[in-house]
Amino acid sequence: MSDLALSTVRLSKTYGGRRPVEALKPLDLEITAGETFGLLGPNGAGKTTLVKLLLGLISPTSGSATLLGRDIAQSEARRPVGFLPEGHRFPPFLTGRQALDLFARMSGLDPGRRASRSEVLLARVRLAEAADRRVGTYSKGMLQRLGIAQALMHEPRLVFLDEPTDGVDPVGRREIRVLIEQLRDEGVTVFLNSHLLSEVERVCTRVAILKNGRMVRQGTVEDLTIQGRAWHITTTPLPPAVVDPLADALGEPTERPDGLTRRTLTLPDRATLNDALDALRSAGVEVEAVEPVRQSLEDLFVEVVEDDATA
Amino acid sequence: MLGLFLLTIRELRARKVVMGLFVVSTFIWVGLALALQLDVVDGSLAGARLFGQETIEEPFDPSAPMTDSEGNPIRDSDGNVRMQSDQLEFGSTLLEEVVFGAQAFVSGAAYWIGIILALFATGGLVAALTERGQVDVILTKPLSRTQVLSGRLLAVMAVMLALSTYLFGTVWLTMSIKSGIWNPRFLLAIGVVFGMFAVVYGVVTLVGVWSGSGPLSMVVTLGVLFMSLILAIPELANQIRLPWRHLVEGGYHALPKFAAVGSQIVPQLATGNAVVSLYPLASSLAFGAACYGLAFVIFARKDF
Repeated sequence: MSDLALSTVRLSKTYGGRRPVEALKPLDLEITAGETFGLLGPNGAGKTTLVKLLLGLISPTSGSATLLGRDIAQSEARRPVGFLPEGHRFPPFLTGRQALDLFARMSGLDPGRRASRSEVLLARVRLAEAADRRVGTYSKGMLQRLGIAQALMHEPRLVFLDEPTDGVDPVGRREIRVLIEQLRDEGVTVFLNSHLLSEVERVCTRVAILKNGRMVRQGTVEDLTIQGRAWHITTTPLPPAVVDPLADALGEPTERPDGLTRRTLTLPDRATLNDALDALRSAGVEVEAVEPVRQSLEDLFVEVVEDDATA
Repeated sequence: MLGLFLLTIRELRARKVVMGLFVVSTFIWVGLALALQLDVVDGSLAGARLFGQETIEEPFDPSAPMTDSEGNPIRDSDGNVRMQSDQLEFGSTLLEEVVFGAQAFVSGAAYWIGIILALFATGGLVAALTERGQVDVILTKPLSRTQVLSGRLLAVMAVMLALSTYLFGTVWLTMSIKSGIWNPRFLLAIGVVFGMFAVVYGVVTLVGVWSGSGPLSMVVTLGVLFMSLILAIPELANQIRLPWRHLVEGGYHALPKFAAVGSQIVPQLATGNAVVSLYPLASSLAFGAACYGLAFVIFARKDF
């Protein structure tokens, strides 16, 4: 059995009309089971198009895709899949419990399982007390939490969450983040589509950035945020004889209370870094720490988007 | 599919118009039961009271001549004496006249007014299914699109069938028990009225799926009904020159025959008379089937 939760091969979508719009250029993507994957991109990048293609809401122009080994063209491919759409609307005349029951019925859950799962999930998303109130009386945050419960009712192995923290207060956001981490711990694959980059950075093991329908970056958060040629080094104070040859590479020192200094060292590659460290040690400098300079996911995102904008 | 069926039933219950139609139906048969008193002696109507008022003030003899206020026989333009039976429109006896007349009135009202009210009550449901936020959740369940649309339509049809069965069934029972005249052919009108609702709802479904707009689907459907009534005007085609005449005739045959079914089939069933031609009903059903077929194809292929 494949350990891929999701796979696309040259998957693309062009919306027809007088001026056809290539919303998603041929995309190859693989997500391993158990991953928490974050999809990023500015508005109009093709994120929603990709999610809709994978869930059968729109049909691809070319290419193919599988969910947990099943072709997305088959409705059965969606049985082990949960989905929280952005801006979802539950019928306002249903109570929260009735909504969960009806949508779980559509997922094929038997009555006993529906009752027990709704109890568990209503408590998990803090809606137990409001379970028998009409959905029409719910706040935005409550609706969002109900939507998450709906997506998890049938214990899916793959969950698509489209802007799950939209309209949720900071406490609720943290709870959703904890929920995603719990899903990850339970081995559920999570596909997260969010504008809140700090959330994505915290919970996702891998991210991809879409821009103009094309994937422009893909990798682990760690790999993508690393600044390739810069390191923070913490050492004993550097003698002038060492500083002078590295003057162009060294940044301004930051004095620490313990007498050590911290500087940024910018060099062409790792081999040059090791040569520089050898030179420091030869000069009697003690090295406390060497760590690659990282940028935040937000910085990376802005850089990628602006790069593409100027390209 | 059952989940979507139940969701639609709840949605119809939430739209109070459908409940209102059941209430109106109840008023009709309870009103008939309480307000109409028939005195039947040896199978003949000896007297009838509506809301306590006598509606038959003198003995009615179908074989007796009609007379004016001075007791002279009334004659037609050919000089023949008019008989009292000539006043009967629906039956051969006064009792049948009352029973069949009431049944014809109820079935006619249900056909001409009930179908329109039912359309207003249910017209927005198909378009609502395609609304963003709801369609996303439903279509990502492990259901085929055919199952999704079928679940929606079956629920609407089940409620409308229940409504028409309730109305026609209770009226039939009420009149039959009161009069002793059991006219089972009246119950066939349930199928005709329900069938014509289903035909018209095919247009609602097609436009709703195609456009996603509830109001537009209602406007187009009422437009189709209006056109079918215009095209059904006798001699209309003869007054139009070629080649437009072919267009009018083609339009008449292509569109549902709302007027013809309402005037030639429903009353015949209500009064126990033979239906001369089922063509208006059959061609209307074919039109409805084509609308549903097209709607299912569009729904299956549409990007949401």
